[in-house]
Amino acid sequence: MEGAWWAVLTVIGSLLALAYYAFVAAPARLHRWRCEGLRAFARLVELRTQGRYGRSEPLAEIANAVAMRLGLPLHERRRLELAVYLRDIGMVAIPYSILNKPTAPTPAERALLNRHAEISASIAEQIPGLWRVASIVRLHHVVYKENPDAPLSAHILSALDDWLRIAENADADAATAVLKQGIGARYHPLVVQALVSELRQRSADGWVYLTRSAALWL
Amino acid sequence: MLALPGTQFRMSKRKRFWLWFFSLAMASAGLLLWAGVPLVQQHQLGVFTGIVALAIFAELLLIRYPLRPEYSDRGLWFSVSTPVVIAAIIIYGWQFGVWLDAVISLAAGVLTAQLKNTRLRWAFTNTVQSVPSAGAAGLMVAQIQGEPVSPVGWQTLVILILSLLMYMIVNTLLVSVTVAIAEGVRVRWVLGQTLLSLPRDIALMTPISFLITAALAAYGATGLLGVLAPYLALRQAFVIAARQQELYQQTIRSLGFLVQRAHPYTGGHLQRVSQWARRVAERLGLPPERCELVYEAALLHDLGKTVLDEQILNKPARLSPQEWQEIKKHPQLGAEILCDTPFLSPIIPWIAMHHERPDGKGYPFGLKGEQIPLEARVIAVVDAFDAMIGGESPNQHRPHRRTLTLEEALAELERGAGTQFDPQVVSTFKQVVQEWQQRRTAGART
Repeated sequence: MEGAWWAVLTVIGSLLALAYYAFVAAPARLHRWRCEGLRAFARLVELRTQGRYGRSEPLAEIANAVAMRLGLPLHERRRLELAVYLRDIGMVAIPYSILNKPTAPTPAERALLNRHAEISASIAEQIPGLWRVASIVRLHHVVYKENPDAPLSAHILSALDDWLRIAENADADAATAVLKQGIGARYHPLVVQALVSELRQRSADGWVYLTRSAALWL
Repeated sequence: MLALPGTQFRMSKRKRFWLWFFSLAMASAGLLLWAGVPLVQQHQLGVFTGIVALAIFAELLLIRYPLRPEYSDRGLWFSVSTPVVIAAIIIYGWQFGVWLDAVISLAAGVLTAQLKNTRLRWAFTNTVQSVPSAGAAGLMVAQIQGEPVSPVGWQTLVILILSLLMYMIVNTLLVSVTVAIAEGVRVRWVLGQTLLSLPRDIALMTPISFLITAALAAYGATGLLGVLAPYLALRQAFVIAARQQELYQQTIRSLGFLVQRAHPYTGGHLQRVSQWARRVAERLGLPPERCELVYEAALLHDLGKTVLDEQILNKPARLSPQEWQEIKKHPQLGAEILCDTPFLSPIIPWIAMHHERPDGKGYPFGLKGEQIPLEARVIAVVDAFDAMIGGESPNQHRPHRRTLTLEEALAELERGAGTQFDPQVVSTFKQVVQEWQQRRTAGART
C-alpha cells in the first residue's frame, strides 16, 4: 500500500508540474522564443541603417519597466515587447541609398521613410499570432495631441523611441528634457512621468545601453 | 517498385499511398478480428461507451504540428487520446484497447471531416495507423503484465511507460511513412522531425495516463470526468510545443524571404543550395537533425546581403575593389544578424564561414582546413557550384559571369579541391550530382 501512496503522490506532483509547464513556463518560453526570433529582424534593420533605426535591446527592457509602472497586464507588456522588435522592420522595404543618405532627406524621401510604420504593421499582420501587435507598431510614432486614445503601449513606444534617438545623438539628460517639453503635446503625460521615473532610478552604468553594436564597425 | 534490366518503373505517389493504406488496413482488420469482440462477451458495453465519449472529445481537440514547409504544408494533425487508450489497455486488456482506438479514431475522424472540412480518407488512414499501434502496445502489456497488479502501483507505472513508448514508436513510424509517401519525400527526413519530440511527448503523457488508469480502476468510465482538467493542461502543453516549432520555422522562412527579396536573382539559388547541401550532409553521414540544420544554414547563408546596398548587389558590371570589400562583409553580417537568436546559434558559425577556403585564402577570417566546420565547407561547395551553373531561367544567371554546364562546373570544383574547396566534400557532392543526373535521365526515359 505504501508503494501505492508514493505512486499517487508522484502522479499528483507530476500533474502539478504539468499544469505549471502548460500554463506558466511554456507560454513564457514561447514568448522568449518569439522575441529572440524577432530580434534577428531588429538587428537586420539596425545593421542596414548603420544603427539609425531598429535598436531594440535597451528599448525592450525599459519599455517593459515603464509598462509595469503604468500597471499594464502581462499580455499587454508582452505585446509591447514584440512591437519593440517589429517596429522598424518596414525599413527593409526602403532603398539603402535613402536609409543611409549622409545629407537630410528630401520631402519625398521623408514621406517614404515615414511609411515604415505602416509597412512594419502590414508585415506584422502577415505573421500568425502577431496581428494584435500590428496596431501598436502602426502607431509607434503616435503624437499624443493628435491621437490621445491610441493604446498606451503605442505612446510608450513613441516616447521611448524618440528618447533613445536623441540620447544617442546628444545625451540622456537632453533627451529627457525633450520628453518633458513635449508632455501633453507630443507625448502622453503619464508615459513621460513613468519613463522619467524609470530612467532616474537606473544607475549611471545603465547608459552603457547607448553604446552601439560592434558589428556597425565592420 | 518493379525493376527490369536497363529500365526502371516507379510507382506513382498515389499508387504507393493506396498500397500502403491497404497494407495497414489489412493488418488492422486482422488485429481486430483476432481481438474478437471482448466488450460484448464481457458485458463491458457501458464502460466502452463512456470511454469512447471522452476519447472522441479528446480526438476532436486537434492540434496542428507543423512540419517543414518543403515536406508538407498541411503539417501533422494530432490529438491526445493516446493516454486514454493506454489506460484502457492496462485495465481492460489489449483487445478492449484495440477496439477502442479503432472506434474513436474512425468516429472522431469522420466528425472532424465534417466539422473542419478535411478529407475523409485521412479518417480511415488515421484509423489504420492507430490500430496496429494499440495492438503492439497491448500485446506487449499482455506479455509483461502477468498477474493482476495494483492499478496505482509502481509496476503499473513501469508497464504504462513501456506501453506508451511502444505505442508512440509504432505510431510515429507509421505516420512518418504515410506522410513521406503522401508528400513524396524521404521517410528519414520526416522521422528526423517526428522522432525528436518523442521523449517529451511520453514524459507529458505518462502522468495523465496513470491518472486515467487509477480513475478507470476506481470508478469506471465515470471517473474519467475527474481527469478533464489535467487533460486540458496536457493538451495546452502540446499546443505550446507545436507553436514553438511553428515559430522556429516561421523565423527561418521569413528571414529566407527577406534574403530573396533583397537579392532577387539568388531566390532559386537559395532553394537549390539548401537541397544540395542537405543531400551532401546526408551522404557524409551527418545525423538527420544536423542535416536539417545544414539545410537551414544554406537557406540563410546569404542573410548578410540583406544589409548591403542593393545597387552593389544588383550591379550588372564588374564590381570595383571597394564594392568587393563591401560584399565580403556579408558572411559576418549574416552571423551578426542571428547573434541574439539563441535557437539559431548552431548555424551561425557555418553562415560566418561559408566563404572560407582550406588553403586559408578565404574570408572573413582566413581559416584553414579543419578549422572550418564541415557544414560550412559543404555550403561553400554547393554555393559555388550553383553560382557557376546559374538557374534554369535566364534571369537567374549571374549578370557578370558566364554560366557553365554541369560537367564544366564539376570539373571546376575538382580543380579547386584542396585549395578552394574541401576534397572530401567535392567528391561526395560529385557522387550526389551524378546520381541525381542518372535519376533525371531515367525519369525522362519513362
